[in-house]
Parts: sequence; structure tokens; C-alpha cells
Amino acid sequence: MSRVTAVIPVKDGERYLEELLSAVRREQVDELLVIDSGSRDRSVAIARAAGATVIEIPPAEFGHGRTRNLGAERAGGELIWFLTQDATPVEGSLAAYRAVFSDERIGVAYGPHLPRPETSPMIARELSEFFDGFAAPGGGVAVQHRGDPTFLSNVNACYRRACWEQVHFRDLPYSEDQAFGRDALAAGWLKAYVPEAAVLHAHDYGPLEFMRRYFDEYRGLRVTQGHVEAVRPLEMALWVGSRTKADLRWMSEQGLPLGERLRWTARATVHHGGRRVFAALGSRAERIPAPLRRQLSLERRDDAPQAVALPDAAPALPPAVRVPARRGQEDYEDAARVLRDGPAPLLDPIPGMADRERLRIAMIVPPWRRGSGGHNTLFQLMSRLERRGHVCSIWVTDLYGEFKSFWPGVLRRQVNEWFAPFDGPVHYGFGDWAGADVVLATGWQTVHPTLLLEGVRARAYVVNDHEPEFFPTSTESRLADDTYRHGLHCIAASPWLRDLLIDRYGASADAFQLGVDHELYRPLDVVRRDDTVVYYARHSTDRRAVPIGLMALEELHRRRPDTRIVLFGTDRPPLTSFPYDNLGILSPAQLGTLYNEATVGLCLSLTNFSLMPKEMLACGLPCVELAGVSAESIFGPDGPLELAPLEPQALAAAIERLLDDRAEWERRSRQGIEFVASHTWDVATDEVEAGIRHALAEREQTAAQR
Amino acid sequence: MTDIEIAQQQEIERLRARVAQLEQELVEQAERSSRVVAEAQERLYWLDRWHVDLNELMRKPGAAEFRWMVRAVRGVLRRIKKLKRKLTGAS
Repeated sequence: MSRVTAVIPVKDGERYLEELLSAVRREQVDELLVIDSGSRDRSVAIARAAGATVIEIPPAEFGHGRTRNLGAERAGGELIWFLTQDATPVEGSLAAYRAVFSDERIGVAYGPHLPRPETSPMIARELSEFFDGFAAPGGGVAVQHRGDPTFLSNVNACYRRACWEQVHFRDLPYSEDQAFGRDALAAGWLKAYVPEAAVLHAHDYGPLEFMRRYFDEYRGLRVTQGHVEAVRPLEMALWVGSRTKADLRWMSEQGLPLGERLRWTARATVHHGGRRVFAALGSRAERIPAPLRRQLSLERRDDAPQAVALPDAAPALPPAVRVPARRGQEDYEDAARVLRDGPAPLLDPIPGMADRERLRIAMIVPPWRRGSGGHNTLFQLMSRLERRGHVCSIWVTDLYGEFKSFWPGVLRRQVNEWFAPFDGPVHYGFGDWAGADVVLATGWQTVHPTLLLEGVRARAYVVNDHEPEFFPTSTESRLADDTYRHGLHCIAASPWLRDLLIDRYGASADAFQLGVDHELYRPLDVVRRDDTVVYYARHSTDRRAVPIGLMALEELHRRRPDTRIVLFGTDRPPLTSFPYDNLGILSPAQLGTLYNEATVGLCLSLTNFSLMPKEMLACGLPCVELAGVSAESIFGPDGPLELAPLEPQALAAAIERLLDDRAEWERRSRQGIEFVASHTWDVATDEVEAGIRHALAEREQTAAQR
Repeated sequence: MTDIEIAQQQEIERLRARVAQLEQELVEQAERSSRVVAEAQERLYWLDRWHVDLNELMRKPGAAEFRWMVRAVRGVLRRIKKLKRKLTGAS
């Protein structure tokens, strides 16, 4: 068993010293050292009577760090237990310390300070709450590593000699224990909080003495930690209020009589208020004249923080806030698995499977919102694939937990009510995954989970848009980019997108044309106005180039103030430099009416061509889109769409041309209806089905080449 | 083509036909499973919407007693109805 020396610095400490030394003897220390720095009471006599070795030093030589280093040098034990003259160990303290030091990595340990019966409620509560915060879950010994709280208190702390020899106390006038805690952890030692190694400890000062003590304490913290107490009157007032309220609650829990509670409440308010004021003064002591500093200090010291030079004064770190684990996993664990281990192996292809009449098709989709265009495309396709006899299922992969409150029955009903009829099951996650002939990834978020699915013969990727362009340089942009590089056969929602995937990523790709619901979008018996420009101003979608569109409309308004401008697609109308009518978010049927009533449509996309211009054309509404992006791949350079470069004046001129030139308007309108007539969801499904069979055929070919 | 090669070819054809048949069975089985799951999801819509898991609910303390009480009340009501029918002569 390790030899233990108890070291107790003393000055005029007779009040508790006898009780303390008796308790220390009871704990069976091997050596007892008392360092007296000029006591004028009976302290030295009490110590000698208790059998302690007394070292007497002049008061001027005392320093919290320096004097304890002296004690440690004179101590003969492998463990050195520092106590203050008013800290009485409770039974079993030393045994608890001895048990903890059986772990050789622990350099220093400390225990809680329990309130004495006469301790004021605010101090008693603070002590209890403060030390409870250090205990391990369940209240046991907590071992603290580098990065954990550095708190240490020489009121009651036990040091391994080897640790002290390596670290030593800094020669500081105050808070030498805090500095030691920080230095020991930095040196690689572990620190332990030992709830059983408790001492009774009281600071039964009067209100003013408390304040002066806080002045000293925060002057010390400024030196050791660089801490400067903030002065924010409102925050301070709220803090004092919350502390006083906590004291009241604590007193109530302890069963104090009402009169006592009221008396202590007044005292607590003064105590906490004074504490903040004196803490602020103490941490700015260098700005206070030396005579006043001496008056404000309980220890009557007039030194200032900047006068103390730290041996290695690295900037103090702010206190770390411990954040517990709150999630099962991080967002992109599946992507990380794919990047680390690669995709799950595919099943061997079966000859002729690409031509089989009925296939098991599983579509993996991200969470949707009502009216989501991309999901409408996907579910229109799945609905029709199912009607063709394929066994179809939909699987929701929910990276960010957006759908965690929706159960599968609800998801399935949403697909049916919001998008398209679907008889198959809708699953949330892959708990019921049982394999498929073809698994279809859809959004970029679905690709990595898709790659990990087993029991699959082929994988394909229905690509609605070039999604890396949706993000600034980020994890998302990189992962979206990565989705095209895993050999999934791409089925792209336009020839432009197909070519991009082939050229940029070397992907194998087919294309399909987005279909139009001709029941909804067709010429209606609605009077068409000749002065109305409608603009899809969904500014929350960056790729819609809304700032450019608004500038084009500003220019149009300048040229033709009487033209009616109507914005739709957003429930947050943008602030503009021109007046307009806002219709908000419309239902598909309402859109059909709007397109039949308007004169010219404006709908911009900086990436893949969207469905909306086609729906406008299907209603006989000529539409202006951006040239040089993706529209030409569908309509050609002089098709039914009026194309203009990404420049406000050019876009305004294109709109104006359609407003002014009736013959041109008629030609575009007629051409649009004719062109879009063949763009149906059935045709789109033909193309997607061909893409799916192509993916299976590629697997067969690859196997045949092996 | 030798007899062995012909036999091998026939065996391959036979195995391919068998694979196609098994694949067909697999598709039919998947279709049945999908239909059962989809029908269950349709039936459970309101329970799913209200986040009610009846199995979980019936495991809660008091659930069995509540069920027993409902059954007892229903039994009493049945007897009363039966008695009423006897007394009034209604069929």
C-alpha cells in the first residue's frame, strides 16, 4: 500500500484544526506535515499536540504554489494529500483515494467539498451542484483525460509524487491548483474525481468578506486562465435572479422554515450580485489603484494580474462544453461505406433476363413534398411500369430523418393522393429489403444506399438533373458528383443530360423525355389575355435564375408599363422594383387555367430542362427559356420555344417580341401544341423501361465477356 | 455435333427452361408478397397516421384488464338483448 503524507498549510487556523488533524489521523495517514506561515493563534501548538511535523515559514514567504511545493519536497509519501486548514475529511476519504491510485495513469485526484451544517444555503447548494457535475454517470469515480474539465482544488486533493515531480505547482499567488490540473492533463496524466473522498468545508464569511474573496479568486483566475468576467448588466441581473431562484428551490427541498427562507433569499440576492461585481473587479484588478486593490482583497494583497509572468503563458482555452451523442449515425455513413468498401456485389445475370416480360423493380427515393416535380416524374413512371405488369416497390431512404414521423401506410397514401396511383408497397428504410431484378436510384442521396443493397441483378439511376450543380463546393456537391462514377446505368431526363453524363463522367446512359399530363394541360375554354406575362419565380430554387428573370421583367416593365406581370410558384413574393400580381403556389389544374389565360410564359432553368415550359406549350402558351443550356437538346434552336441568352435585356426583348408579333405568337403557340402532343408519360415510360432493360442487358454482356 | 454435345446442349436448354420457370415463380411470389404488404399498408392507414401500434398498446399495463372489461360489458349487453327478445317475442 502506498505511503501517504498529509500536507496542511496553516495560518491562524485553530478553529477547525484540531478536528481536522484528528480526522486525518483517523484516516491513517503515514505522515502529517503542517506548514505554518506566521499563525498568531494556537495553530502550531495544536499541530504539535496532534503529532504533526510543523514547518514554520515567515508570512512573506508564503505562496499557494510555492508553499505546497515545499510541503511536497519535505513529504516522504508516494501520495501527497493536500488539505486546507478548514477542510475536515469524512470517514473513508483516504481509502477512496488509495483505491483510485491503484491505476498508475492517475496523477492527481480530488474529492467533493461538503457543506458544514452552518454553511449558508447558497454556498451549500453551489457546492453540491458543482461537485455533482464532475461525477461519472451513476455518481461514481470519473476519470478525466486531456480535453476534459481541468478543475482541481487543493482544499482536498491527493497527488502522486511522480506526477508532482514532473509538473510542480506554479509559483502563483492564487489558483495554483487549477494551473496544476491543466498542466497535469497536458503532460498526459489522468485526473480523477472521487466522490467518496469528501471533506467538510465551510466558508462562513459575511457578505462583504465573500465579495472580497471573490475578488481574490477572480484575480487568480485572470492569472491562471486569462479569464475576464463579462460585464453585461441585463445578463448579470438575470443570472442573479436565476441563482436566487435555485437557492429558494434548494432551501425548500431541504425543508427550511419560511422565515429562514425569506432571510436567506435577501442574503442570496446580495451574495450573487456582489459576486458578479467583485468577480468583474478581480479579473480587472490591474486597472484598480493598488491601495484600493488591497482594500478589496480578503487576503489584503495589492498585486495585479499582469505582474505575474507565467512560465509558459499559452493562451487560455475557453471552457469546453460537453455535448453528448444524440444521433445513431452521421448523415453520410452509407456513402462512407461505399467509398471505403465499394458497392455490394450484384447477383449473377441470368441469360435473357433483359427481355423477360415481368421484372421486379425497386425504386429508391428521397423524402418528398407535395407538388415536388421530380417525385411526380418518378411516381408517374412507376405507376405505369406497374400497370405493364412489373412487380414494383418504392423504398424511401431518409438521410436527414425528414420522414421519421411518417409510417409506411401514410407514405403510401401520400404517393397515391399527391402524385400517381400506385398499388405496390411503400417502405421506409430497408428493413424489409428482399432483393430485386433492377434497383433504381433516383436523387443523389439515394445512390450510395442503393449501392449497398444486396440481392440485386442490375442497378440503374433515373437522373432528373445534374445535381452537383445544386450545391456550392461542399460534401454534398462532392458526393453528388460521386454518384455518377459507380457504374449505374443512367436514364437521364433529357438528351442534354444524357450527353453530359457520358461526356463528363463516362457513364453508360439513355435518355427519356418528360411526359405531360394532357388531361390537365391542354387548350381550355378560357379567354386568353393579350397583356399578361407569367413567370415561375421560385427564388428558393437557385437554378431558376430568378434574379435574372426579375431584371428581365423590370426591363419589360420599363418598356411596357401597361403589361400585366404575374408571378407564381412561391408563397413568399419577392421584393421587386416593378409592380406585379402574385398568385402563390397553384395546383396543377389552376396552372392549366393560368397558362390558358396568359400571353407569354417565362420559365428559366440553368441546368436540365424542366417540365413546366412543356406544360405551358401544351396549353398553347408560347414560352421564353434560356438559350445555350439544355432546351435546344429537346426543341432544337428554332423550335416552339423562344430562346434568349442569360441577359435581362435579351430576355425582355424575347418576351416583347411575342407580345408584339401576333403572327410569331400564333406560330409558336401552334408549334408548341403539336410538338408536345407526343410527349406523354406513356412514351416516357417506354423510354425508361428500355433503359431498365438496357441496364440488365449490359450486365449480361459484361458477364459474357468474362 | 456428337451425341455428347447434343446431350449437353439439351441439358443446357433444360436447365435454362428450369431457371426461367424458377424466375417466373420468384416474380409471382414477389408479386403476392408485395400485394399483401400493400394491402396491409392500406388497411393500417389511419393507425399509421395516428402512430398507433395495437400490439404495443395491448402490451401496456391495464390493457388486458380493459379488454376483459369490454368483453364483460358486451356479454352483459348480449344477455340483456337476448332476454329482451325472449320477453317481447321478437326473433
